Amino acid sequence: MTKSNNKSRDFTRRDFIKGTASGLGLGALATMGIFSYSEKRKNFLPAIDRKQHDFGVCKSVKITNISETSWFDNAVLMGDIRNAGGLLVNQYEYNWPPFGNGKGLAKGSYADGIRSFKHLLPNKLEEAWEIVYEKSVSPDNAGGFACLIEMEDMEGQVHKYLLDSGWSFKWMEDCFRREGIDNMLANHEIEKFFISHSHFDHFWGLPVTYKYDPTIATYIPAGFYPEDKQYIADCGFRGELTEVPSGLQEIAPGFAVYSFGVPIICRVFGELSMYFNVKDLGLVCVSGCCHEGIIQLADTAYRELRYEKDQMHGIYGGLHISPFEDWDPKYDDLVIAMEDWGFEKIGCNHCTGILTAKKFISRGYNVIKGSARFGSKDEAYLGNGDIIEFKA
Amino acid sequence: MGNEQHLFVERRKLVKRWKGPIPVIANTLFIMLLFYVTWWIFQDPRGWMRLYTPFKGYMVCRWLLIMFIWVVYIFNYWPFRKSWLNSAHPLVKGSVLTLFSVGLMLLLIKGFFVNILGNYGIAYFNPERLMELGITEFYAEEYSFEAIMMFAAIASWLSPAWVVACESTPWQQLKQPARGTTIVLVTFFLSMVIYFITMHSHMGILYYPWQEFTAITPPYWEKFANTVSGNFHIAWIMSATVVVWIYETIWEKYPFDLIRKDWLRRLSSFLGIFVIAVAIAFFLYFAQELGWGQAVRGTRRLMAPDWRWLHVGEMAIFWLVPSLFLYFYLDNWPRKYSRPVNVVIRTVVTITAAALLYIAYYKTSHLFLGTQEGYSHPQQFPMIPMIWLINMMLINYWFMDGWPGWKLVPETEAEKVIAPVTVKEKEISWNPRFVGGLVAGAALAVILYFAFIKFLPWWCDIFTIIKSNV
Repeated sequence: MTKSNNKSRDFTRRDFIKGTASGLGLGALATMGIFSYSEKRKNFLPAIDRKQHDFGVCKSVKITNISETSWFDNAVLMGDIRNAGGLLVNQYEYNWPPFGNGKGLAKGSYADGIRSFKHLLPNKLEEAWEIVYEKSVSPDNAGGFACLIEMEDMEGQVHKYLLDSGWSFKWMEDCFRREGIDNMLANHEIEKFFISHSHFDHFWGLPVTYKYDPTIATYIPAGFYPEDKQYIADCGFRGELTEVPSGLQEIAPGFAVYSFGVPIICRVFGELSMYFNVKDLGLVCVSGCCHEGIIQLADTAYRELRYEKDQMHGIYGGLHISPFEDWDPKYDDLVIAMEDWGFEKIGCNHCTGILTAKKFISRGYNVIKGSARFGSKDEAYLGNGDIIEFKA
Repeated sequence: MGNEQHLFVERRKLVKRWKGPIPVIANTLFIMLLFYVTWWIFQDPRGWMRLYTPFKGYMVCRWLLIMFIWVVYIFNYWPFRKSWLNSAHPLVKGSVLTLFSVGLMLLLIKGFFVNILGNYGIAYFNPERLMELGITEFYAEEYSFEAIMMFAAIASWLSPAWVVACESTPWQQLKQPARGTTIVLVTFFLSMVIYFITMHSHMGILYYPWQEFTAITPPYWEKFANTVSGNFHIAWIMSATVVVWIYETIWEKYPFDLIRKDWLRRLSSFLGIFVIAVAIAFFLYFAQELGWGQAVRGTRRLMAPDWRWLHVGEMAIFWLVPSLFLYFYLDNWPRKYSRPVNVVIRTVVTITAAALLYIAYYKTSHLFLGTQEGYSHPQQFPMIPMIWLINMMLINYWFMDGWPGWKLVPETEAEKVIAPVTVKEKEISWNPRFVGGLVAGAALAVILYFAFIKFLPWWCDIFTIIKSNV
């Protein structure tokens, strides 16, 4: 009898445990399904804590596009990328100039490439380019991105900054001469040099800048690979190098840079973008390529900074949406969502994608058109030699 | 192949070659070696073939997975003879069956998608046609392979679901290859319907202008998912793919196999997998919001809704790896308790293992996969190495009988007598105790759920896998 009672108790206890185990699964899945994407879930999300960091104010910002044509033929660039193994291949392996070693596509390396022209840096660039031209894949496709930023402070003094140094030595020297950048550098008129990231088309033309001013204060984002840093040294740089750690760094009143820790195609890491707080206008964002995304750039400012009128006024640069005239539905998310951020003036080029610029225009955004000169292909882009100014 | 209701992979008898943990260790090392060698040859951006472009490699690893499922679950190894399956050396068998699957995959991709669909139906399946329309060769291939890959995502849910949940009905009595062919055709047809409903609009807005005469643009899910990207569907479809195998392996088809009526059990299983997948997808999306904050539409990476939906599928895949490992190599531990308790323990153990795998992947994978550190590299998909790893496990367990740690032994006469498929309703008795436990368990689950979502933001604040400001 006792044995039977125990058995019965055991049986009911087992049933209870089985029920509990089953109920656990059922209850968990039901709650997950019903609550997790309901409006009520938002009560559990942390509120946005705007830091409202005050980084001062400036009077105006003027940007001269030295070159936005990073490469001249998209099909050639993408053909090389495809044949080398896609967008995750290390950029030093492509065998593009200047790191060509004569072995052909996808068989390059930094060490092998730099050997043939290191002794000529940074002054004998014509001779260096002749050497690398012979050894490299698609040398005629190399152009570059660089722009000159002139910020007027509240006392009326103008400060000049250089953003990026392009790719082809030859192309960039021509562009620097066209815009008078060579003389500005040689005369130390340009105070600081910012390298947005280490992609070939922004960074590999580095000796062109150091040829004219090897001591210019240089800023890079955190995340450069050893080869990238070695290239800075190999280019004959003798100035102060600042590696901006992840986050915000003030440069001058009304001017700050932000280092984004982002992995980027062709094995590059980190990007530096710029914020200017323009008196009576609002925030102006400037980027080299904006791999972090322009809405991320704006959203970071929204969370971190205090700026005039709480207004996103302008944006300039390569906005990295459809750089290879490629597309993805998420880019449409961006085009649609841009409206919510209220940018009043957009100057775009380079890796923005002409298609994106046209989609911006068709949605009624104020895209400042360019002159399509000096190799720039479309007026939707603020092209080579064009100027955009942000001033109240 | 004998009785077609019973799959060879379920009937075969595998025994350990050695006592203790040696077989598990040996197979783990073997799979890791197989993974890394094949990764280097086929996928690694520093390796030989460099298929990780990314979509070429993505498509290959997904379709390979489906081919394995077709060979084992749908065709029950047809046209290979049982005598050969029982006698061939595992290395020979593994090589032959893998090459056979690769051949099928190439035939399907090149023959069906590119040449038939791409030439006579929808241009975007054929890279050459896209190139003729002015798209660069690289993106022509990437777009086509993305579409073919998306089709694979759907098929990787539906093909096994028809066997696992629907029990191959109504063709379970057919002999091969009639049975396999029929199921492939039906699931392929269903995949196509679901592809058009879930992915075609994504492809339709990939081209300029939006293809509004041939696709619904903007897609119907835009407001609900906060994105026009088809990644929204990837979230629940990938979760469904994972749940099918969780249901088949560590859940031992619990609880739907308790249902006595065949049609109701099959329907409940099929729909149950879908509902569970949606619940998991919503939860994993919410978990990201709790950890990283609410998504911001228009951003490109970690904060973007489309990436978050994609990451739901990626997170789900991390769960499948330890679940299959537990089932294949750890004898589906534990087995000593009642099935509901076993299922809960296995679920907790595999979710914990998945979380550890997730952390290990993001902490270390860039050191050996040829990829970069970071969550949301626009061209990196953790699903590729995870599915590649699963493929290697399937080759080892399905095609090589678990060599070297396990071996196939002949069935005894008694084992040859096939037991009928039984419904396990006796396992559960709907008495007040069980119902009381059910209610208590459900209440506890709700408490645990809300405790977890309260705890998660705090945990994410103090524990950082990758330091990132994007």
